[in-house]
Formats: sequence, C-alpha cells, structure tokens
Amino acid sequence: MSILSQLNGPAVYAVCGGIVAFVAVVCVVFMVRAWRAGVALGMDKAKMRRVITSSVTFTILPSVGILLGVIALSGSLGTPWPWLRLSVVGALHYETQVAQTAAEQVGMSSLSAAEMTPQAFTTIALLMSVCIMWGMLLSTLFSKRYLKKLGGGGKSSGGGVAAGFGDRAMTAMFIGLICTYLGSYIGAFVSGGRFPFNGDWSPLAVAGVSALTMAGCVYLSEKKGMAWVESFSIAGSMLVGMAAAVLLRLWV
Amino acid sequence: MNEQDKQAAFERYNERTHLIGRVVSVATLVLLIGAPFVLGIILGAMPDVGAVAKGFVSVGLVWMVSGVAEYLIYTPMLGAGGGYLAFITGNLINMKIPCAISARDMVGAKTGTAENEVISTLSIAASSLVTILVLALGVLLLVPLQPGLQSEVLQPAFTNVVPALFGAMAYKYFRGSMHIAAVPLAVMSLLFMLVPGLTGSTSFMIIPSGAMAIAITWVLYRRERKSSEK
Repeated sequence: MSILSQLNGPAVYAVCGGIVAFVAVVCVVFMVRAWRAGVALGMDKAKMRRVITSSVTFTILPSVGILLGVIALSGSLGTPWPWLRLSVVGALHYETQVAQTAAEQVGMSSLSAAEMTPQAFTTIALLMSVCIMWGMLLSTLFSKRYLKKLGGGGKSSGGGVAAGFGDRAMTAMFIGLICTYLGSYIGAFVSGGRFPFNGDWSPLAVAGVSALTMAGCVYLSEKKGMAWVESFSIAGSMLVGMAAAVLLRLWV
Repeated sequence: MNEQDKQAAFERYNERTHLIGRVVSVATLVLLIGAPFVLGIILGAMPDVGAVAKGFVSVGLVWMVSGVAEYLIYTPMLGAGGGYLAFITGNLINMKIPCAISARDMVGAKTGTAENEVISTLSIAASSLVTILVLALGVLLLVPLQPGLQSEVLQPAFTNVVPALFGAMAYKYFRGSMHIAAVPLAVMSLLFMLVPGLTGSTSFMIIPSGAMAIAITWVLYRRERKSSEK
C-alpha cells in the first residue's frame, strides 16, 4: 500500500474528522452563549444577525483559499491531516513553512510523497502541532487576568481607558498591521539595496484594486444610501482584487 | 432587566466563558498533540521525538515568539470568548481579526465593552464554522474539484488572497487616519526596501509598526484631551 493510501485511510480520516467535529461543536456552543448573552444585555437581534451574515460572507472567499492549501499539502501529507490543521488552529503560511522544516529534520530533501514514510509523517505532524500551540496555551494560562488588567473583563458599557484610548490603540495596532504588510509589498517590488523596481508588483496591484473597490463600496453605502453593500464590501473587494490578479497575469 | 442586573449577568457570562474557554483549549491541545501518536499507532510508526526537538529549536522558537506577540496583541481586540475561539481555530491575521474588527465596526461596538465581547464571539464563531464547513465540503469534493481549483489560470487569485484583504482593509482604516498611518507605512516600506530579508519575518515587524501607530495615536489623544480641558 502506498504512503498516500495509508495517509488517506479511513482510520486517519476518523481521527482528524473527530477533532474537527469537536471544534465545530465548541464554535456552536460559544455562538449560542454569545447570542443569549447579547439578548440578555438588550442588544438588537437584527444587529447580531447582521454580524453573523457579514462574518459568513467575509469568510467564504478566504476559506476557498485555505481549501487550496489543503489541496496543496494533500499531495505529500494526504488529505485528512492538512484538513485538520487548516480547519483548526493552523494558518496556511505557517503549516507549509513548518511542514517543510520538519521534513528537512527527518532527512527528507523536500516535502513530497516520494520520500515520505509513516514515521516521517507522524514526526512532521507532531512538530506542526507543537510549534503552534502558544495561543491556546497562553489563553488558558493568562487570558482571564490579562483581560481583567486591561479593563475588558466585565464592563457592560463604554467609558474609561477601555472605550477611550484603548479603542483607539486597537485601531492603531490594526493600522500598524496593515502598514507592515503593505510595506512588505512595496519592499518586495522595489527589491534590494539599489532599488531596481523589478520585484513582484502583483501584490501591490491587487491591494490597489481591492482598495479602489472598497472605496466604491463605501461611496455606495455612505453617499447613495445603499447600506446593504457594507456587508459585502470586504469580501466583494477581495474578490475583485483576486480577479484582477488573474487578469493581470493573463494580460502581462 | 435593569443596568445592575445586566452587569451581573454579563459578569457571570464572562466568568463561565473563561471556564469553558480554558477547558476546551486544554482539550484541543491534548487532541492535537495526541493525534500524531494515535496516528502513529494506526500507521505503525511513532514520531521521532528527537527530530521534533531539533525542529522545534530551528523553527519552533521563532513561532513561539510570534505566538506570544499575537496573543498579546489580539486578545484585547477579541475579548474572552473571541480570543479562546480564535486561538483554537487559527487563521488569525488573514481571517479572524479582520472579520471580528469589521463586525465590530459595523455595529459600532467599543473595545472592552460587553457589546464588543458578544459581537466578537459571534463573528469568530460564525467565521470558524464557515471555514470548517467549506473545508469539509471541499475535502468531500476534493477529487472532482482539484483540476478546477488547481488550474494554472486561477493560481494568481489564490496567491493574492492576503494582499486583496489588506488592500480593502487599508482603504477602510487609512481613510481619515492617514496622519496615523503615514509614518509606520513609510518606515515599514523603507525597512523592507533596505533589508529585503525581513519579508520572511513580516509578522514580527507588526510589533514595531503597531507600536509606532499607537505612539502617534497616544500623542494625538493627549493633545485632544488637553485642548478639550482648556
């Protein structure tokens, strides 16, 4: 039996599928509790429904991208393990990077089914799990105290640092995050100490198209009274940006 | 229900969220670390723990620092329920964080409030369930879908998911805040131009960039407060 047949066996599916199902149940429990808490706090049900709808719309497109990651890794690790990793805890850029490093540690020249053995697979799987456990571990140990210290542990209305500077600081942090990624795209395009401007410009172009589409959505939503556009603005802008990437590649 | 009752009910909800969050985080950790050993029994080959230790020294420590930074940065944005769920379900930067912030902005909830806690949890739970569903369906349909999704023509779209996301978010967040974004954007662009090797450490660069944006916001906030006090 080939290694991929073993890695795609029903028992492996059962183990990975069981964990995915457990996490799905956890999500449902958190969602139901949050909904009930929102109702108890007197929050508008229509608003909460809008949040769920917009989050669902927002997630569909990136999820298809993640599915591609499953497909990409399934050639060497089988389908069930990448499915588990990318459904739970993982992120595509992380999984690919760690899987490749782990493959090198077990003496493989590259992450491929041709060199894969059952022990190489279980070793890679364990390293992937160990390397990305920090968020869960830290949440378990410190979240309660950390959030209380920040003032977010029990207030039911705005006020003080949490809703004053705290809110602005979080927005600023997010601005910093976006600046970092846009800066990396600009750097990748300019590429190197002599600034030859011959690097990959497609991420910058895609980000530009997405931003312009978002501008259009904001205009429609704010100036033309089409508030419903807001729910689809991010996913729609991403879709247009991604479509632009395909067209640019065909065109250039 | 009066305000005091609401406050008490929310505090009970929060306490229980921490309890459930801790239990399910530990359970998920045990399942994820235990799975390779269970698979080892099924496949007849246990993991090479020595190789795992070596691999951990080479990449694990880097991801540990990144994990700690992500925890410190994102937990306040997500609150208790959202935080536990996001760290269990992953895909933070590319999905959960923008999703939760977009939801929060849509309803105008403020960080640190009960409203934000509820909205963030609803948003991350919905997002996680969609990802689980899309992936489960995708895995079911994997064989017939594979040729279409892996077609050479579509690849640029999927390699540019993150730039597409940050382009859209940039317009949303820079609009009206360009005075905050200008300096970190210029500094980050220059750094990535001068040290191209930093591209492999983009997630670490979020820390100085975020610190710059926060420092500028703090200066502006102080100035605003002083002028409003006069």
